[in-house]
Amino acid sequence: MEQHHNSETRTPLNSVAVQRRSKTKSYRLSYRSGIGAASRLGFTPGLTARRLNTSRKAPKSNNITEKVTKEQLALLVKTEWKLSYVTPLYQFRHTQLKSYSRQLSAFIAAEKQQGLAVDVEGTQNRFRVSFSLVQEMTESVDDAVTVFIQIHSKPLIVRQDEPQRPVWSGWLTCINGNLEYLRSLPKDFICLPLFCSSEAGGLTSVVKSWFQQSFDCCFGPLEISHTSLQWLMALWTNCHPESSIRQLKMIWTLPVEPQLQVTYTVNAEDAWQLWSSVRKENTAAAGEENSIDIEEVTSFMQGLKGHFFRHFRLDLSAGRLDEVSTALGSAKHSGRIKFSNSKYMITTLMLLTECALLKMPI
Amino acid sequence: MCLCLTECFEYFSNVEMAAQLNLSGHPDSGLPSLTDQSMSSRTSNRSLRVAEKERRKNEAEDPSVLALQYFYNVEAGTPVSGNDEVERNLVLVEQVAYRNGLSPEAISIMLEFAMSLRMGHSLCPRVLKCLIPVTVVPQEAVVRGVSWLGVGKIPVSTQVLFIKWVLTVFDMIDAKDQLRAIYGFIFSFVSEENLCPFICHLLYLLTSKQIVRVFRVRKLLELQSKLGRQPFLLNLLSLYKVFCPELVTFSIPSQSKSVFKNHNMPWKSALFAVQKRNGSQVASSISLASASKDGTNRRKRKRHHLEIPVLRSVVNKEPQTETRRRLVPLVQIQSVAELLENMDHIELPAQMGSLLGSSLALQYLDCVQDESALLRLNFWLGYALHEELLFCGDGASQNSEESLQFLNKLLSTQHFLQEGFSSSEAFLYKFLNVWDGSLLRPQILGLLSNIPVIPSSQIERLLFKPLMQLFFTSSVFFKCGLIECLNNMLLKWLIWHSVYALEDDLDISRNSHTSINMTLSGFKDSVMGLVDFVGRLASSGLQLEGCHSLLLSFILDFYTMVCDTFLKYGLPLVVMPPPGVFYPALFATDPVSVDRLAFIMYRYKVNLTSAKIQEKLTDQAFHISRQTFHEFNNYTVYMVNCLWNSKMFQPGMGVQLGEELLLKSNVPQYWTSFDLVHHPAFMSYAIDFHQKCWPGKKDIDLDSIKHSKPWSWYLEYLFSQGYDGLALFVQSNIRARQGNGQQGDSLST
Repeated sequence: MEQHHNSETRTPLNSVAVQRRSKTKSYRLSYRSGIGAASRLGFTPGLTARRLNTSRKAPKSNNITEKVTKEQLALLVKTEWKLSYVTPLYQFRHTQLKSYSRQLSAFIAAEKQQGLAVDVEGTQNRFRVSFSLVQEMTESVDDAVTVFIQIHSKPLIVRQDEPQRPVWSGWLTCINGNLEYLRSLPKDFICLPLFCSSEAGGLTSVVKSWFQQSFDCCFGPLEISHTSLQWLMALWTNCHPESSIRQLKMIWTLPVEPQLQVTYTVNAEDAWQLWSSVRKENTAAAGEENSIDIEEVTSFMQGLKGHFFRHFRLDLSAGRLDEVSTALGSAKHSGRIKFSNSKYMITTLMLLTECALLKMPI
Repeated sequence: MCLCLTECFEYFSNVEMAAQLNLSGHPDSGLPSLTDQSMSSRTSNRSLRVAEKERRKNEAEDPSVLALQYFYNVEAGTPVSGNDEVERNLVLVEQVAYRNGLSPEAISIMLEFAMSLRMGHSLCPRVLKCLIPVTVVPQEAVVRGVSWLGVGKIPVSTQVLFIKWVLTVFDMIDAKDQLRAIYGFIFSFVSEENLCPFICHLLYLLTSKQIVRVFRVRKLLELQSKLGRQPFLLNLLSLYKVFCPELVTFSIPSQSKSVFKNHNMPWKSALFAVQKRNGSQVASSISLASASKDGTNRRKRKRHHLEIPVLRSVVNKEPQTETRRRLVPLVQIQSVAELLENMDHIELPAQMGSLLGSSLALQYLDCVQDESALLRLNFWLGYALHEELLFCGDGASQNSEESLQFLNKLLSTQHFLQEGFSSSEAFLYKFLNVWDGSLLRPQILGLLSNIPVIPSSQIERLLFKPLMQLFFTSSVFFKCGLIECLNNMLLKWLIWHSVYALEDDLDISRNSHTSINMTLSGFKDSVMGLVDFVGRLASSGLQLEGCHSLLLSFILDFYTMVCDTFLKYGLPLVVMPPPGVFYPALFATDPVSVDRLAFIMYRYKVNLTSAKIQEKLTDQAFHISRQTFHEFNNYTVYMVNCLWNSKMFQPGMGVQLGEELLLKSNVPQYWTSFDLVHHPAFMSYAIDFHQKCWPGKKDIDLDSIKHSKPWSWYLEYLFSQGYDGLALFVQSNIRARQGNGQQGDSLST
């Protein structure tokens, strides 16, 4: 029944990819299996180190609002998300969400009352969990469908007309994940490497441990690196003509005693001018393709830093970029992100998916 | 239903009991015609019982038998107070019980007497307390006892005492099938508040998968809401969860140790005493701690990622098709025998990381061919290692005690499986670049030595570059550790190779599941790369550390293995040590190093010789380069010249010094400086020998040893000191014994 209902749900089982794998064999298969027939303890890790892409497409504003429903988008924007990476989920089924909702709510109830067993089927639970799919928020066919989770808590005194308010929400996503990596996974695994959660009342760790126990995965904190923050600055500034960024704000920490925090705000027009100046030379070379290169990002940063140095005699290169924000969103080094405008979300999520995949242990 | 059950068991048991009493009088009469199922299920215990009867027959007309007969026959309603007969007989039974224990029949009779309340309930506790079994407890007696609970006249304290007694002797009950059959009946007593903890324990011992049902879970949950979080309820529920994880969800606070309390106090000492007196024929333990929980109390860990998950079965079961056999969760398997029995339908645990904590599970993992399972384990392991040692954002390595334990566990696992996990390999390639060479050194080097063969194209970048940096910037002890680690690594590679070569006739490339063609020559390249690398490290290391003898010893360990690759491990490859290793070993000041070098050179010779023979026999045999023979010959000739012929500086040899320079050094007879007599390593032996040979002589003239006779004595003396390597070297390389003028024997290319 449930199966039928969700027949349009795409769980990319990449069965084609698996066939391909068995012929060419992925780079993860063991050399060892060639040496000792008996040894099968796993896969040789990627001997080629993965790196962050050095070039990416300029953000386009078109697609997402057309595909994803307004209600779902509203849930994703305007909230600050804490980021984590997740290793691939074992035997996660996009068709079993109802049963997951039930299990997770029982699990939360059990965790909230440690040492008390809980009836899985019970309905008297204070927490109501709902799993839903964010259809069509994908970039490539290999991306697994984004899963959105919301937890509502029943207030102890319930009024009839009062809606339950959500106490926790989070989502797992994969936007334009590395094809080679995704296809190298056996079909039992679903890769949704990016986990965003909005914390309230310590539920995040409970949700994580339920996922760990149910799908044998692991959660680790995902920071947004210096380079990624710079990328975000460039990508956002690049959107300015279409959608105003209002201002470009950076927070730097400088390693002096006592620690110095610098908030550096650039007028949107000035930032755009600087950006187009570093873009000019490259766009000619790149031709029609509207892609952004790491060199452009670096020179953009150089420009900003140089400007600051001329005024304050302070070289920001010695410091650490902690936070960037524009009207489109904000990102913190500690791994928090907020999307203020859904139009450019996909590009940001692509970058974050990449970061999450870089953290994968194998 | 309960009454019906009672009647039924009463019938069977009475008949049997009577039969057994008769049997004691007529041991030769056959089994009673009513051999019901319960009897056949106890066949294993029959021999014990027969022996028991023999014993009782010998004690002809034992008064205790009469006492038992009294209790068996006593009329219901016989008064207790003022009844001396009861008192006398009970004392008799008690005496036997506390001295030797009671036979199975006696237990049946006394239990029946007590629980039936034939003489009221005042005697009950006293009788129950003396029910010390000598061998086994008949299941029927227990079943009857339980059935009496349903009659409902027994005081609660006595009921509790009875269940406690059942728990105490549980392991001695001769069969459990009937008890399991009345599981539902026993379960009905959980509602009795006073009995509940003990009933739960009994149920815990009797539970199997088939009897875990939703209505029972409901009942227990209902009780829980009434009684609060009671450990006995939780324990039973946790067992239900093991069997049917989809029916019950809860989490146990980390500090609570979930075991049942021991209720065996009234009987414990008596039971021990009886068992001890009887030479403990019944080996059953009466430990009542529930077996499924390991005793280690998990202390709360600050860092979550190093915690090895608990072995749990999967909640989200795949809808099982009819054709598929039922899967047995790994958590339910307790012994190797069970493992073997269920080998082909075992369900893997929810979290593969939990296998690391269980040797039984590892044994299964060793056989499992499941790609996904290994990947899951590797994801978890890699995650833990990365988070702990690479990404450690908050307060790195302050918690190294935990990392230490974790890595030790990982190492022992890898040792158990005799190979490394690929995730730890991937981790190491990254970690070596940031390692300071001292953090958790033994563990990291241990993991490193488990790395499987790396293609020679990658080996430099992944392994050699980072290790080289560490080697040159670390202490001599790190250098020793690293050489040892690389030695172990090579050993494992060679063992893999030799196992494989045996299986597949030396053609590695034929293996169909090879990912990257690791041909024999590819493997040889890797091994050669590793040996060369150690050679480079060793040469420079010895130079840096002034030929440190500990380091030299580790290096010689390495070459002891390298020299035997052909004969011991069947790898057609011979690599000579570099001069930077050979000469420091030859000129070492300790005799052990020189002796080991001699042994190594001897083994090289044996290997090269047999390789040459094989090359002649089979056409396709490998080819050893002329260069190797050339190096070997050079070394051997030099060694013989130096140690034996006292011709250290011959033209064309490895070590050459200008004539003037040597003269300038003012060393008299410099060419003899490193012969077996003057070699600093052997000088003390030469002097000792000299004193023993010519005790009268005041001034020592070592050259006199070199005369033909004393020379051979001196050699014998040296060899008798345990320098077997030297002896083998001399025997194999020095042919004709003609005084001092022997020639080194070299292999032709």
